[in-house]
Amino acid sequence: MLKYIGKRMVHLIFIMIAVSFLTFLLMYLSPGDAAAKKLNAQGVAVSEEVLEKTRESMGLNRPFLVQYGDWALHALRGDLGVSYKDGFPVTDKLVRGLRCTAILALTSLALALLTALPLSILSALHPDSLLDNLTRFFSFVGNSMPNFLISVLLMYFLCVRTHLLPLVANESIKGLIMPCLALSIPICGRFIRQFRAEMLEQLGKPYVSGARLRGVRQRYVLQSVLHNASISMLTIIGLSIGTLLGGSVVIETIFRWPGLGKLAMDAISNRDYPVIQGFVLITSTVYVLINLLIDIAYSWIDPRLRETGGGA
Amino acid sequence: MKRSMTRSLAVLLALCMMLALTACGQKAPEPAPAAETQPQTETAPAAEAQPGTETASSEAETAPTPTGDAKWLKLAESFAYPSLDAHKDYYGWYTSIYGVTETLFRVADDLSIQPLLAKDYAVSEDGKTWTVRLADAVFSNGTPVTADMVMRNFLRLAEKNERFAYLSDFAFAAPDEKTLTITTPEIYPTMLSDLSAPELAVMDLDGTTDFDNAPVATGPFVVKSFTPEGTVEVVKNEAYWNGSVRLDGVTFYYMQDDDSKLMAMQAGEIDGYTSVTAAAKEIFSADPATYSLTVIPATRLQFYVLNKTRLDDSVRKAINLTTDCEAIAAYLGGTVSAAVGPFSASAPYGQVTKPAPDPEAARALLEADGYTLNADGIYEKDGKPLKLNICYYAARSLDAIALLMQEQLGKVGIKATLTVQEDPDATYVATGDYDIALYCMIADKAGDPYYCVDALYRADSKWAKAGFPDGESEELIDRLQYETDIAERAALANQVVQMSIDENAFGYVGLFNKTTVTRTGVSGIAETCPFDFYGVSAETDMA
Repeated sequence: MLKYIGKRMVHLIFIMIAVSFLTFLLMYLSPGDAAAKKLNAQGVAVSEEVLEKTRESMGLNRPFLVQYGDWALHALRGDLGVSYKDGFPVTDKLVRGLRCTAILALTSLALALLTALPLSILSALHPDSLLDNLTRFFSFVGNSMPNFLISVLLMYFLCVRTHLLPLVANESIKGLIMPCLALSIPICGRFIRQFRAEMLEQLGKPYVSGARLRGVRQRYVLQSVLHNASISMLTIIGLSIGTLLGGSVVIETIFRWPGLGKLAMDAISNRDYPVIQGFVLITSTVYVLINLLIDIAYSWIDPRLRETGGGA
Repeated sequence: MKRSMTRSLAVLLALCMMLALTACGQKAPEPAPAAETQPQTETAPAAEAQPGTETASSEAETAPTPTGDAKWLKLAESFAYPSLDAHKDYYGWYTSIYGVTETLFRVADDLSIQPLLAKDYAVSEDGKTWTVRLADAVFSNGTPVTADMVMRNFLRLAEKNERFAYLSDFAFAAPDEKTLTITTPEIYPTMLSDLSAPELAVMDLDGTTDFDNAPVATGPFVVKSFTPEGTVEVVKNEAYWNGSVRLDGVTFYYMQDDDSKLMAMQAGEIDGYTSVTAAAKEIFSADPATYSLTVIPATRLQFYVLNKTRLDDSVRKAINLTTDCEAIAAYLGGTVSAAVGPFSASAPYGQVTKPAPDPEAARALLEADGYTLNADGIYEKDGKPLKLNICYYAARSLDAIALLMQEQLGKVGIKATLTVQEDPDATYVATGDYDIALYCMIADKAGDPYYCVDALYRADSKWAKAGFPDGESEELIDRLQYETDIAERAALANQVVQMSIDENAFGYVGLFNKTTVTRTGVSGIAETCPFDFYGVSAETDMA
C-alpha cells in the first residue's frame, strides 16, 4: 500500500509540472495581457508608453520559458508570487478561497449524502411506491434545474417573501445555508438517481434472489447489496468532491461567497497568471489526492482489488 | 461477509460524518492572515500592515454600530478591492465613494471643477506654475493638512501608480504650510482636472499605520472595518472639517450579481445601489412610494469606429445614417442615453450635431456610388456583395448593440456578420481587422475633453484605422493640449469631435446612464453626479 501511495505521489509531481506548464502556455498564447487588464480596469484609456512600462515592470516582456522558469523556481521554494492584479500574495488569496470553498463544498456534499443515501435505499427497496415516485420526481427536478435558478428561487422565497434568512449574511453559518442548499440540491438529485439505479441493479442480481429463497433476512440481504453497491457510490462521491472543491462561480457570485471558483474566474479575466497557476496547482492536487483516497477506500472495502491491482 | 459489510458501511458513514463534522465544526472563515512580504516598498515613515485582516482605525473603534437609533445607511457596490490605499491602482475611486478620502478639487454635477481641500488657485503667466492655497482642512485624527503633506502624497502616488508616474516630472514646492506650487515642464491646462482625480487623494502619511486597511484622510467618514474584497463599514468622522456629517455610518456590501442586489433591496436589507438593470428599473418604477430612481447620462461611452482602409466613404456615411441610436437606447431599456458625441450634451464641450437616422438617404447614397441590390436584397458593386464585419466584445451591452446594428443594416441592404472577441485591445483593435469596431470607454475622466480627444483622434492612437484625423484635426488637438482658456478648450474639442462625425470616422451610440435606486428618504449618494468615483458625503442623509 505504501509503495502504491508513493508511486501516486510521484505521479502527482509530474501531473503538477505538466498542468502548470500547459496552463502557463495557454494563458501566454491567449490574446491580452495582465498589464492592459490592470490599467484599463475601469474603462480609462492609457497611453501605449504607460502600458509598455507596466509590462516591463511586471516582467511580461520576457520570453515565455524565462517567465515560466522563474515562476516554477519560486513555486518550488513555496513562493507562488504575487497577484498581477493587485500585488498581494497569491498564497493568501488561495488559502482564503480554498477555506471558503472547502466549507461550502463539504457542507453541501454532507447534506446531499445524508439526504440521498436513505432516500435512494428506500426508493430502491419500494419501487413504484409513493415514496419512490416522489424521490424520482425530486431527483429529476434537482438534476434539471441550473444552480442560478435554484439560487434565485431560494433568495426569493427565503429572503424576500418570508424573511427567514438574510441575503447579506457574509461568511457566517446563516450565510452558508442558502449557498449550501443551492449547491447540494442538484448533487442530491444526481446521487439519488445513480445510487437508486445501482441499488436496483444489485437487488436484481441472482445472489439476492438466492438469498431470499434461502430465507435470509432482509437486513442481511440489504447489507450485502449495500456492500456491493458501495464501490460505484464511492466513485460518484469522489468525482463530486473534486468538482465541488474546484469552486462554483455562479453560487459564489450570487451569494457573495469568496471561494476558489470566483477567484479563478476573476484571475482568468484579468490574465492574472500567478493566481491561475496557483489555482491549477491546488485543483490538480485535490483531484489526485481525492482519487488516491477513493482508491484506498476501494481496497479497504474489497481486498480482492488490492490483489488484482484494480484499486490500490 | 459480515466483516466486509461492516467495512463498507463504516467507509460510507465515516465519509458522511467526516464531511458533516468538517463543515459544521468550522468557524466562519477569517480573512487571510497578514502576509509577510509586500510587493512594493513603503516610503512613508509609518509601517504598513498587510491587508487581509478585518481591521478598524483606532478612532473608529468606539463608533456606533449599525443598530438601534443610529442613522446607518446600507449600500451595495458592484466592485470590491483588496486595499483601501487610495494611491494604488483604482482604489482611490472606492475610498472616495466610501467618503473616506478627498482631493484638492472635485468635479461638480454640472462638470465644473470646484475647490475642495483647496481654497483657491492661480496660474503663472507662462501657464507652467500653478499655485494652490489650501483650505483649513484637518485629517480625521485632527492633524492639519499641510502643503508639504499634499506634496508628499503626490510623490507617493507617482511611485505607487503607473498611471500617475508623470507626476514625478512636475516640480512641487511648499513655500508655506498652506501654499503648494506645482511647476510643469510645459503648459499643462488640465491640471485642475488632474487634481480632481480620486487617486490624488490626500492621506495623512505620518498618521496612517495601515494604508491598506485604515487610511487616515480628510473625508466625512472613517473606516470602521474592512474586509478585503468584501464588506466595508465607515463611521462618521467626528473631526470633519467641512460641515456636519448627517449619517452615523454606512455599510457597503460587495454584491456583484444583479438579482442579488434587486432582492436585497426588496427584502429591505440594503438602502440603495447604482447600475440598476433595465428589468430591476421596471420593478422599482412600479413602486414609487418605496423606491426612488434617479437616471442621468454618465461618462461611459459606447461607440464604433468605421475602418477607412476597408470602407468607401459612401458606405461609412450610409452606416451612420442607418444606425438609429435612439432605437438602440430604447431597446436597452433606458440603461443608456442616445449619444450625439462622446460627451454629455450638457457639457460645454459636448456641443456637436449629427444627422438624424435616414435609411432612405443611406440607400440613395449607396446607389449613387454604384451599388445595386442583388436577388438576396443585399447591395453589391462589381459583383461583390456589401458584407461588413462587426467586431465587439460581450460587455457593456456591446453584444446587444452589435445585434441591433446588424438588424438595422440588414434592413437597408448591408449584410453584417458579427465577430466576438474576449479582449478587444489584443485582437481587433490591435490588428485593425474589422469594418466596424465596437468599443466602450470612459470619455470624460474629470471634467475636461482633452483625455478623450487625445485617446480617440490622435494620428498615433489605436483608432488610427478610422482614417482620422487629417492634418487639420491634429493641429486642433495640439492647440487643445496647451489652451488654457476653458471656453476656448470647449470650442476646440467641439470642432475636433464634429470633424469625426462629419467625416464618418466614428459613430457615437450611447452614454451609459447612471441609474441609482434608493429607498425613499435616502439622498446624497452622488445619484446626480455623472462620475463613478463619488459616493457618500457629509450631505448624505436618510429619513
